[in-house]
Amino acid sequence: MTQSKELYDAVLNGDARKAHAATQAAIEAGTGPMTLITESMVPAMDEVGRLFEAEEYFVPELLLSGRAMKSAMELLRPLMVASGEKLSVRVVIGTVKGDLHDIGKNLVASMLEGSGFEVVDLGTDVSPEKFVATVEEQKPHIVCLSALLTVTMPAMKTTIDALETAGVRTRVKVLVGGAPVTMQYAKEIGADGYSETASGAIALVRQIVAGA
Amino acid sequence: MPITMMFAADILGVKYGRYLRDHRILVEAQVKTAEMFVLDYVSVISSSSEAADLGARLQWYDDQPSAVIEEGALFADKANFARVKAPELISGGLMGDRVRAVELLRQRVGKDLLVEGWVEGPCASAADLRGISRLMMDFSDDPGFVHDLFDFTLEVAIRFASSQIHSGADIVGVGDAAASLVGPRIYKEFVWPWEKKLVDAIHAEGGRVRLHICGNTRRILGGIGELGCDLVDVDFPVPLEQARSQMGPLQTLTGNLDPVRDLRSGSPESITQSLEALRQKAGARWIVAAGCEVVRDTPHDNLRAMTKFAQTHATESLPA
Repeated sequence: MTQSKELYDAVLNGDARKAHAATQAAIEAGTGPMTLITESMVPAMDEVGRLFEAEEYFVPELLLSGRAMKSAMELLRPLMVASGEKLSVRVVIGTVKGDLHDIGKNLVASMLEGSGFEVVDLGTDVSPEKFVATVEEQKPHIVCLSALLTVTMPAMKTTIDALETAGVRTRVKVLVGGAPVTMQYAKEIGADGYSETASGAIALVRQIVAGA
Repeated sequence: MPITMMFAADILGVKYGRYLRDHRILVEAQVKTAEMFVLDYVSVISSSSEAADLGARLQWYDDQPSAVIEEGALFADKANFARVKAPELISGGLMGDRVRAVELLRQRVGKDLLVEGWVEGPCASAADLRGISRLMMDFSDDPGFVHDLFDFTLEVAIRFASSQIHSGADIVGVGDAAASLVGPRIYKEFVWPWEKKLVDAIHAEGGRVRLHICGNTRRILGGIGELGCDLVDVDFPVPLEQARSQMGPLQTLTGNLDPVRDLRSGSPESITQSLEALRQKAGARWIVAAGCEVVRDTPHDNLRAMTKFAQTHATESLPA
């Protein structure tokens, strides 16, 4: 194990400046990007998720850790592109059409990224056509759909139907979540999975990847 | 005291976008809903009136709630904060429209029903103006700015609440949803002191206070119980017995059926059973409601089952 304790602590404590500096120091010392991600950042975000589940961390702490992780990724991403290294699983995420709420989606995206997945965040108010185009272009393994409003929940079904019509539905697993969404609704619209919480969504993605 | 907004607009058969912007429509919808379901109160509850009037960019929709555009939040750039002042008088804009809604509701229902005003709490309003993700990180990055921002949102809330009380509101709901996202440390330092000032100010104006924080508030229940609110709404993720034990027997609690699983997707029989279980947990000083807004496609018989339960057990929820 070649963990950078400094990077691990910086992500855990949500300190973006220290995360950036620790990453820079580790790169200069010859540690590879994938090693830093798998040995330091993923364990740190796992611990962040555990603390969130235990109600010792809350949304501010999650966002700070996500930001710290992103500041490290800014240094690592160009190195990965240059060396041809890739994260093994790509996840597309977005809040469905008509819905501008993004904090839940951001939390899931941040925790997915911190868990070593490549995340393509399409933002909010994302049309079914945009999801289809992204699936065709980026070839993700998983698509995550978020909705906060009961009135925008039907856009989840519209999006799944659009993936079906475009002939790409079987290429991806579709997960749904958001305050009004239930397991029953997820089944009704033909989603492959549902989670009530951000950390549950990460566990679900891992479960799908492990079973793939 | 079930919260109805989009549900009430649907009862009147109007688009929710109009309900949000025209007090006459809101009043008709509230009165009709109260009559149909024999509710004890009418309310001007809606969200983001304050942010809209202060100049925040909102996305309006035909038939769903407006949303603050986070990327273009009014105080995304902190420099803008120094340039905006709290309005002296609440007369125009959406806040003025809500004040007129209170006046008209009072005229329509007389003394028969409780009239509830509504303001955004200091934390929720700050989240609307700064952007919720930015605010969540400001607690750590710039505590002084958060204190100044909360002073500002508190001032707006007090003036808005005062206008509604003077227009006939018996009680003012304080919606501070963003507060459920923080833990006890941040709640104690940043949120509680400003919520407390708002509660005290509403009481000083002669109004009663209903605090509504959507979401999981389990870790901040103790603080909420010390605010001195007349009613505290408990959302469905919080076990009602925990709210009771942490806030004590003297706190009136409101809630907390799950609006989707229990109230929308349940049956009159299952709702009655769930309420009976809640009654056991709540004890006296309990008001029957869902944890949050009654969702718009809730079967009417389900809501009637809830109000029937409340009417049947009314005297039992009073203190001995």
